[in-house]
Amino acid sequence: MEKKRENVFRILARWFVRWFFGPKFEEKWFHVEKTTEEKEIKFKDGVPDDSELIVSPGRQVFNRFMERKFAVCSVFVVLVMFAVVFIAPHFMTKYYDAFTETTQKDLPPTMDFMNVPKELAGNIKMIDSYSSFSVGLSNDGMVYVWGIGSIGATGVDIKKIPDEVKNANIAFVAAGQDHIIAIGDDGHFYGWGSNRFGQYAVTDATKDNPNLAPVPDIVLNGELDVAHIKKVTCGFQASAILMDDGTLYIWGNKQAYANLDKFIGRTNIVDVDFTLNYVVGLDSKQTSVYTGTKGLHAKAKDHIIGTNTKAMKDFLNGRKINEVRATSTSVCLLLDDGTIGFTGDFPSDVQEVPELPEGEKFIDIEAGTYHFTGLTNKGHVYSFGGDHYRQAEAPKVESAKKIYAGAFQSYAVDENGKLLDKWGLKGYLFGTDDRGANIAERVIAGGRITMTVGAVAVIIEIIIGVSIGLLAGFLGGWVDIFLMRVAEVFSSIPLYPFMLILSSLLSQVSMTTDQRLYMIMVILGILGWPGFAYITRAQVLVARESEYVTAAQAMGVKTSRIAFKHILPNIVSVILVNITLRFASSMQTETSLSFLGFGVNYPQPSWGNMLSRASNAVAAINFPWQWVFTSAILIMTTVCINTIGDTLRDVMDPKSTNDK
Amino acid sequence: MARYIAKRLVYMVLVFFLLTFILFSLYQLMPANRAYTDARTEIQTMKRLSEAEKATKFEELYLKYQRMYGTDTDNTLILYLRWLGFYPFYDGHYSGILQGDFGFSYDYNLPVVDVVPVHMRNSFLIGLITEIAVLAVTIPLGIKCAVKKNSRFDRFTQFFTLIGFSTPSFIIYIVFIVFFCSILRWFPVSGMKSPGTNYTGWRNVLDVLHHVTLPTICLTFGSLASITRITRASMIDALNLDCIRTARAKGLSEKVVIYSHAWRNALIPMVSIIVGGFFGTISGAMILETMFGFKGMGLLFLNATRTADYDMIMFLEVIYTFIGLFSNLVIDLCYGIVDPRVRISK
Repeated sequence: MEKKRENVFRILARWFVRWFFGPKFEEKWFHVEKTTEEKEIKFKDGVPDDSELIVSPGRQVFNRFMERKFAVCSVFVVLVMFAVVFIAPHFMTKYYDAFTETTQKDLPPTMDFMNVPKELAGNIKMIDSYSSFSVGLSNDGMVYVWGIGSIGATGVDIKKIPDEVKNANIAFVAAGQDHIIAIGDDGHFYGWGSNRFGQYAVTDATKDNPNLAPVPDIVLNGELDVAHIKKVTCGFQASAILMDDGTLYIWGNKQAYANLDKFIGRTNIVDVDFTLNYVVGLDSKQTSVYTGTKGLHAKAKDHIIGTNTKAMKDFLNGRKINEVRATSTSVCLLLDDGTIGFTGDFPSDVQEVPELPEGEKFIDIEAGTYHFTGLTNKGHVYSFGGDHYRQAEAPKVESAKKIYAGAFQSYAVDENGKLLDKWGLKGYLFGTDDRGANIAERVIAGGRITMTVGAVAVIIEIIIGVSIGLLAGFLGGWVDIFLMRVAEVFSSIPLYPFMLILSSLLSQVSMTTDQRLYMIMVILGILGWPGFAYITRAQVLVARESEYVTAAQAMGVKTSRIAFKHILPNIVSVILVNITLRFASSMQTETSLSFLGFGVNYPQPSWGNMLSRASNAVAAINFPWQWVFTSAILIMTTVCINTIGDTLRDVMDPKSTNDK
Repeated sequence: MARYIAKRLVYMVLVFFLLTFILFSLYQLMPANRAYTDARTEIQTMKRLSEAEKATKFEELYLKYQRMYGTDTDNTLILYLRWLGFYPFYDGHYSGILQGDFGFSYDYNLPVVDVVPVHMRNSFLIGLITEIAVLAVTIPLGIKCAVKKNSRFDRFTQFFTLIGFSTPSFIIYIVFIVFFCSILRWFPVSGMKSPGTNYTGWRNVLDVLHHVTLPTICLTFGSLASITRITRASMIDALNLDCIRTARAKGLSEKVVIYSHAWRNALIPMVSIIVGGFFGTISGAMILETMFGFKGMGLLFLNATRTADYDMIMFLEVIYTFIGLFSNLVIDLCYGIVDPRVRISK
């Protein structure tokens, strides 16, 4: 039969078939020559005569390895880990190492950020979100809170809705960083959550603090005319109530909002909102964004990433501003002709404003922490602005009547209050760290670095160690003595002190994080090679004396052929075992060093430096998810690698079968 | 035997010089210049001088300090020899580690020789208790697992030691701290004594014990797994030896076979771990000491590297290198004691 040239895909397919269905099918489907050995067992006097069965050592090792279920599972787990860690980063397009987000610090694992309660979903009056939780109000005046209730380590649970709120008929709700305010339909004012900065009540602790603007008495006493409330909104640790006649009641933490004072007691405000640091408003002239700070938002641009910032007057060109909506850093202006404009700063990762079809215009804009969601007169919704959590990728929605946005979520609702669609950040699988980064993503990115460092360090060790061991073993004599003395010097260098010194030396030299990473790999490799050299040398010495080498020599086989054809394959198995075990221990060394702060440094993630915060007992107990998942994955990986190594050693050792 | 030791000692000294020279020259790369900073600070105290005077005065002072610290040359070899005490300073005096001058810690404002012993004692005490506890647990456990290989008990132990062996020690410490300090509140998280107290006598001892117990437990647990595995592996190898079969065939009781015949053979590969472990106690456990704020050698070294306390680092490096080399020698000698074959061939 003429041998057919196989292409790569055919080979891969063949391997696949062989792996999952067995060689019989491979022969049948791919018409390859027989690869399996004849295993027909001959019977001799009714007893199977298997004395002829000879299995090659490699196959024997393989067969025996496959018998160990735990080891096979380990191989599978390690392969999956490798695949995840090296492939998944290509799908995490939004991920970057130095990402931080203040409002998302220390959040526990959850996926409930958009879990609108069932009772509310068909009956929505309003929704507001901030940082990690959302508050919703149904048409019959009931308040619902979802998301993460506990705020940091303060012990405040925002999900604990006070009983009087549950019993009252609520007309307005709004959510701040760590508090919620609500107004009953009789004008009664409610608030819950943290009150450390006088967010919703005046207490003895907050009364005399000059940095706090107190809640106005008229609000506290429940004397507001609910029918004429235009807007209730909350900022980081501040809140505002705006009346139809332009009266503004505003209070909260003045240190968070430097210009809060300028808004107190104003009676000519048309719209108001909070960025992260400033209150922004719209006065009755409706021609500029009022902040009380000169020039802060005096320039507007017609497009998010347009570099062309025109002065506000040019931009407006006689039109008036109807609404201002603020994210953390930027403000969106909705003009009376339905066009929108922007002022402020935007994160690098933004979704542009889509081109609206002919005849469609924005009638409402809502703002989250970085994104805006707009509603058009045709009932379509569009999101734009910051898109790190894909919160600015709006689905297709028909006939929406109201939109709500907050934090990193948006909700579209029809005229009956039925939830049409929701989009944005669902939550975090492993929670977030102290910088607000997603731990699950960092585990993947960190695993890539930890595994790469471990693997490259081992490869360097093998290259140096095996070649020196081979040289010493083959050549013998003074070369052997010299090389072994060198190995001894290297193995008597104390690892951690030396690493620490080198690491602190390297920190004096300015180098990029990548260069630093390479240095760590090289140092680990250079300090670790003597182990491989000893093992290789010992194996070579043993092999040189063995009978098969003597036999080969007697038959006149060339020395190089003996070395590579006879001795090397016998050493490889031992080296392979040590590679596996060393890989796990290199990973451990790297994590320990990074944990101490002398290995991979922030912002680059590694499984070690992700755990360094847990060395603080208070942080370890308060935010257990920040170390439990990472260490569980680290332990799982090293356990599996060690299992593979142990099992390999067991199955390769011919003696171990005897005592089974 | 004496010749062998002498040979090893000569070799040890050579390696010691080589290693310290490498470390010393590495440290010369560090952009720290003590003479320069000292001259700078002194010149700033003289306010009455004009700029030009200051410049000349500074040159003078800089040279003075350089000569004082022995850094008036760029030759690393001379610097190294001065540090060792083989080469005179500018004014002709010798001041190096041979003369017993190990340098001055700028962080502690004390000669390094005065700082180190306290830390070394702390590390050594905690390490010694740990080492004894670890050996007391792991050796019987390892032997039992090896004797009852593949039994349920063995599999159980194997499973846990595999996990323990694969877990980086700091994760074990975190778990212990969370469990004992935060949940049970049995032990304080860090430090050597309760802050703000000045106990004496018995109270002091109890207070220190209260602080030291958890680090000791942690350190013990951190090394249980690996030593159990090593004991088990070497014991299994020993039990497979032909001499054990012979011993059994002779009709010796199982106890004698295991503890006298097999264990002595199993001890040979374990010598390096046991002896190395004892010497390692002096070096301190860096991660543990950092996490508990335990004033031992590891923490001392870490702080020295963080604050670039040059003399301290060099002194500690000398100690580490010396311990490393010396323990290698002792290990080799112990092989001779444990394994009669080595003695004969020497």
